[in-house]
Amino acid sequence: MPVTFTFGEMLSARSIIGSTLAELGETHDNLWVLTPDIGATLVEFREKFPERFLDVGLAEQACVGVAAGLAYDGNIPVVSGMLPFLSMRALEQIRTDVCYPNLPVKIIGTHGGLVGNGGSTHYAVEDLGLMCSLTNMTVTSIGDPVMVGEILRQSMSMTGPIYIRLAVGKQDMVLYEPGRHEIRIGKGIVAREGADVTLFTHGTTVAQALEAAEALEADGVGVRVVDMFTLKPIDEELIVHSAEETGGRFVVLEDHLAYGGLASRIADVVADRGLRLTSFERLGIPQVYAGFGDDEQLRDKHGYGLSHTIAALRRAVEAGSPA
Amino acid sequence: MADPGRPEHSVAELEELAYELRRKLLLLCGTYEGAVHIGGDLSAADIFTALYHYGLRVDPSDIANPARDRFVLSKGHAAVCMYITMALRGFFDYDDIVATYGQLDSPYGMHPCKVQLPGVEVSTGSLGHGLPLAVGLALGARGRGEAHRVVTLLGDGETGEGSVWEAAMVARSNELGNLVAVIDRNRQLMTSFAEERVVFEPYPDKWRAFGWDVIEADGHDMASLVAAIDSLPPTDHRRPTVIICETVKGKGVDFMEHNLAWHAGSLSPADLERALAALDAGRSKELV
Repeated sequence: MPVTFTFGEMLSARSIIGSTLAELGETHDNLWVLTPDIGATLVEFREKFPERFLDVGLAEQACVGVAAGLAYDGNIPVVSGMLPFLSMRALEQIRTDVCYPNLPVKIIGTHGGLVGNGGSTHYAVEDLGLMCSLTNMTVTSIGDPVMVGEILRQSMSMTGPIYIRLAVGKQDMVLYEPGRHEIRIGKGIVAREGADVTLFTHGTTVAQALEAAEALEADGVGVRVVDMFTLKPIDEELIVHSAEETGGRFVVLEDHLAYGGLASRIADVVADRGLRLTSFERLGIPQVYAGFGDDEQLRDKHGYGLSHTIAALRRAVEAGSPA
Repeated sequence: MADPGRPEHSVAELEELAYELRRKLLLLCGTYEGAVHIGGDLSAADIFTALYHYGLRVDPSDIANPARDRFVLSKGHAAVCMYITMALRGFFDYDDIVATYGQLDSPYGMHPCKVQLPGVEVSTGSLGHGLPLAVGLALGARGRGEAHRVVTLLGDGETGEGSVWEAAMVARSNELGNLVAVIDRNRQLMTSFAEERVVFEPYPDKWRAFGWDVIEADGHDMASLVAAIDSLPPTDHRRPTVIICETVKGKGVDFMEHNLAWHAGSLSPADLERALAALDAGRSKELV
C-alpha cells in the first residue's frame, strides 16, 4: 500500500520502515527482517512473513552474526534495532562478519544523536565515525521519513552492506516535496539554494538547518543547505562545487560528535582536494556525555541548537572572500 | 539438485587419513617460518578427518552445489588443518598450500577467507563468531526447505565468548535441528588450562541447559567420532545438536601434548624430526 503524505507533515519514519519492508517482502522472497527485541514497528512484516522474521531477543551480536549467515546463504537481511547497541555491541560482527566478506546486510535503527532522552547509554553519537571507518560499508543518516522508504528500496540492489541512521523516528517532518529532489544514495541533496555560505547537515538536523537558513534570508544572506545524507561514499563533487559557489564558507551541523562524523568527512575532502576555504565551522556534540533533556534542549545546551546555527552562519558570512 | 554424497571410509581408513593429515601439518610447520597454531590443529585433526572424509556431504568438484552441507570453522586459527584436510579430500593442492602458506597474495592464510579461497564457506578468525553465522545459514536452509546440515567447529576456549551463548539460545528458540556444533574440547586456552582460570564444567550440562541435544565423543577415537556422526538426528529434528569431543591439544606429538608452549609455534629441522618420530611411535603403538 503506497504511503500518502504531504510536504511539511509530521510522519513516523518507523511506520514507513515497517510498511516499506512489508512491501519489499512481497517483491523479494529472500528479504529477512531481524531484530534484537525492537520489533514494534515491524509487526506488518512479521505478520505477513513470519517465516522470514526473526526476533533474537536481547542479543545484538548474535543478531548481526545470524544476519551475516543468512546473507552468505543468498538472503537479504535487514537488522532493525537501536543504534547505540547495534553500532557498538555488534561492531565487530558488523566489521568482520558483514563488511569483510562484503555481504548485503542492512543495519537500520533509531536513536542516532542526542534524541529520545534516554541518557548517554541510549544515544548513538559515535556511530557514524565507527561505521565510516569500515571498508565496504555505505553510511547514511536520514531525516525525511519518506526518504527512509526510498533508501530502503534503492538499497535492495546493493551487493554490500549499508547503515541507515534515524533519530527517534516517531515524529519526523516531511522535508522534500515529492519529485522535487533527486534522491540517490551517494548524492547529496541541495535542500535549499543560497550563494553566501553552505550549511552541510544530515538526519534530524536538516529541519533545523532549513529553519536557520530561513532566518538568515530575512537579513539578505543566502544559505545553501546540503543534506549530505550519504556520509560514505561522500559526494565530493558537491563539496567542491559548494566551496566554489558559496564563497568558500562552510558550516557543518550534525547530531553526532563534532569530530568523527560529517564534519570530519568534509574536512578530509577539503584537505585531500586542496580546497581553499574562507571559513569552516563545525556544530555538533562536544566531548561530553550529554545528560538528560529534550532533543532541542540538549542541542541548545551543547552548542548546536538553532540559535548557535544562526550565529555560526553569520560568523561565516562575516568572514572575507577566499585569498 | 544432485546429492554431493558422502565418502565411504572404514574407521581404519579414516585413521590412516588422520595420520596423513598430522604428518602433512608437521611438515608444513617445519617449512613455514612463522608460527602455526599447531596445538589446536592437532587436537582437531581427527575431527576434521571424520567430518570431511565421512560426515559432510560435500563435493570438491562442485563446491557451489546447493545441496552440500555447510561447514563453518569457528575456531578459525585451525585454518591450516582445514586446508590440508580439504586438500586430502581433493579441494586444494597440498604442495600449493606448503609453497605459499602465509605469504603475500596466497589464499592460504592464518585464518580462512571465503573471498580469497573458494571452497571455504565462511570467513572466520575472530572467536565466538562461527555459531551465529551457522545459525543464519541453518535458518536460510530451513526457510527454503532444504535438507542439508550446517556444521560448525568450535574450540572449547572460545565458548567463553558471550556471542556463542546468544546464538545457542537463538538456535534452540528456532528449533534448528539442521545445525550441529562440534566442540574441540582440548581443555586449553592460549595461556592457561581449562578450569585453572576459567571454569567450564559442568560443560555438557551447560549445553543441555540451553536446550541442545548433547553427544559426547572421544575426539581421538575414530570409531567414537563415526558413531557420533551416525547418531545425528534427521535435519527436521526440533533441537540443535552439539558433539562435545574430548581431545588433547597437541595430540600425536608427545612433547606438544598438554603443553602451553605449543599453542602456536614453528618447528626447527631437529624438532620436526623429533615430532615426526613421535607421531610414528604413537601410530605403531596404536597398530599393535
